[in-house]
Amino acid sequence: MRGFKWIAAGMIATAGGVLLVGCGSRGPSDSVFQLKTPWGEPDVQGIWTLETDTPLQRPARFKDKATLTDQERAELDKQRAALLGRDKRVERGTELDVAGAYSAVFNTVKRTGPRTSLIVDPPNGRIPPPTPEAQARAAADRAFRLSLLQATDTCKNHMAGCNGGKYDPSPSPRLNEIPDRYNTGRMNRHDRPEDGSVGDRCFVGALPDMPTPFGGNFQRIVQTPGGVAIFYDTGQGQGFRRNIVMNGSPHLPSSIRQFSGDSRGHWEGTTLVVDVTNFTLMLDSFGSRENKHLVERYTRTGPASLEYKVTVEDPTVFTRPWTVQMDFGKQSDALNRIYYEPRCHEGNYAFPSLMLAARIADRDYATGRGPRPDTKDNATDFVGTEENPFN
Amino acid sequence: MNLRQVSSMATVAVAAAVVTAVVTLSITKASGQPAAGGTTKPTLAARPPRVEGKPNMSGIWQALNEANWDLEAHAARPGAVTQPGVYPFEHARVPAAPVVALGAAGGVPASLGVVQDDGTIPYKPEALATKKENVEHWIDRDPELKCYLPGIPRAMYLPYPFEITQSTSKVHMSFAFTNTARTIHLDKVEDPPADTWMGHSVGRWEGDTLVVNVNSFNDKTWFDRAGNFHSDALKVTERFSLLTPDVIWYEAAIEDPNVFTRTWRIAMPLYRRMEPNSQLLEYQCIAFVEEFLYGNLRKTPLVTHWEGETMSIDIKRKVPPGDAFYAWFRK
Repeated sequence: MRGFKWIAAGMIATAGGVLLVGCGSRGPSDSVFQLKTPWGEPDVQGIWTLETDTPLQRPARFKDKATLTDQERAELDKQRAALLGRDKRVERGTELDVAGAYSAVFNTVKRTGPRTSLIVDPPNGRIPPPTPEAQARAAADRAFRLSLLQATDTCKNHMAGCNGGKYDPSPSPRLNEIPDRYNTGRMNRHDRPEDGSVGDRCFVGALPDMPTPFGGNFQRIVQTPGGVAIFYDTGQGQGFRRNIVMNGSPHLPSSIRQFSGDSRGHWEGTTLVVDVTNFTLMLDSFGSRENKHLVERYTRTGPASLEYKVTVEDPTVFTRPWTVQMDFGKQSDALNRIYYEPRCHEGNYAFPSLMLAARIADRDYATGRGPRPDTKDNATDFVGTEENPFN
Repeated sequence: MNLRQVSSMATVAVAAAVVTAVVTLSITKASGQPAAGGTTKPTLAARPPRVEGKPNMSGIWQALNEANWDLEAHAARPGAVTQPGVYPFEHARVPAAPVVALGAAGGVPASLGVVQDDGTIPYKPEALATKKENVEHWIDRDPELKCYLPGIPRAMYLPYPFEITQSTSKVHMSFAFTNTARTIHLDKVEDPPADTWMGHSVGRWEGDTLVVNVNSFNDKTWFDRAGNFHSDALKVTERFSLLTPDVIWYEAAIEDPNVFTRTWRIAMPLYRRMEPNSQLLEYQCIAFVEEFLYGNLRKTPLVTHWEGETMSIDIKRKVPPGDAFYAWFRK
């Protein structure tokens, strides 16, 4: 029945110039049709996004439950719509309250999706446990960031931003330490551009592209005979372009590292399979960097749907590979609501302002007109996230 | 040299040109077998000559000219930034501090220019004054130096490759420079909600020529490194046509009543990157320009002289032993 509806909708799409070929393909799930480009390749073109909200990892309270009933989804919608989120105010005049000026209006809340996690493998819906060395790296990184917060009210008042740390009013002995690995996250220090998070610095988004509360996760796919190009509208103007090499050639030499890696694709039946390696050390996905290896599978499952599965593998970070599935919905070509602009870097007043404010704070302290700069928290902003049922 | 020698050299040159032409054709139709020299010839056989009846422009392209330095005809200049030398003549200026250490790599190559008709950009008088000011302030004002989106038409002739992905209702272009991309809509779409760096591109086929109207620009992009600029009233009409399977003839008509007295045009070939392993690589320059943009905000500066936002570069060029001019010369 479901297949019949797709065929009917596909016929409408045919009028728009898309050729529909009904056939029992060996694609995934229950697809009974395939769309082809005029030159005969499977057609995965269009603007795509995830139209519902599903947490990446299954929240603990769902245990083994992988899917939600319609009633449960409606209930979660109600709960989530009532959340104050970043509109929540805390003690007036504190840094934490000021950080909340980036209010809930910047957040996107979509309807609750049918699954309890985007991760479909392992079956528990969670990122597999990190390897011992990855655990040690993450712990060392967290300890360094906490030490830069030790003299702030965030630690004094036991706020979420200081979880795992403890208050110590004396200056951290690590105030001038340069981390062993290239810094990608925000820290409570703005002595140099490299102290900033890659998001604050407007670097492009990382693959695999995941939905964020701040929007994005739109992509446009355009095909040509033997070629596939994708543009991602993600984060806040951190969009990027990516071209998939489809000529069967091997990956780039390992000396060439790229933010979007090196993508080599081929067709397996109706599925576009893309192998991605050669990632940079300067972007981080859940602890994974230069050894990240992605295998992506794009399969058109209906006139308005595209199944995307990506397996993330990095034996130096994860104890086993894990797979995310996102079922994208096709967005209107005519409305064209995918933004290549505004762009983050071109309008980045915030990041130099962070550094300028830090230099003013240094000067004020040196001249006896301001507090010791490291007693102020300019890094954490954990406002209003505690009650979210997806956390 | 007598006439006969000249004549025989000309014959050789013509013969060489013919051989070159033959080689070019054979590359286009190559089968991927190793050439006589043992290298692998480019294989473009997988790319059909036409996509749904239209000439197939998919692939990796690059301008091979000096347009990004200066659209107008110009003699070579000693540096991208210059200062008066000992003579009072324009032609005797010397490189200024920011590029002095680059030597001959910091100069500007000569060009016959790509501006059509009389070869000059028809500025209104007050706009011409702004252009001249831009030249003086090139380092502070050129958006390319800040790794900002290059706009159209500049993206098409930056000295970096770009890739065309030609489909039926969209023609997508990805550029190596920063995270630049554009989609040319051959179907009807809504206008963008705000002005843009890269413009909004709507195209149509006129026979075998792709004609693209680009509008909705902001006033922040430039045309080149010579201070040529526009306002947010800019409208660009581009024409892409294949001269051969491996050369696009690119034209752009530029209209901006706030800045120019009339519409003017540029034209140039764009060449296919023929390397068998050609692939669009990233030039992610945001991190490259942070020192330039934010260096004065470091707690401990790397550049020794910042006066406010003014960078005063000390060119300290300590020559390693053995590399001093005479030592190197005698090696």
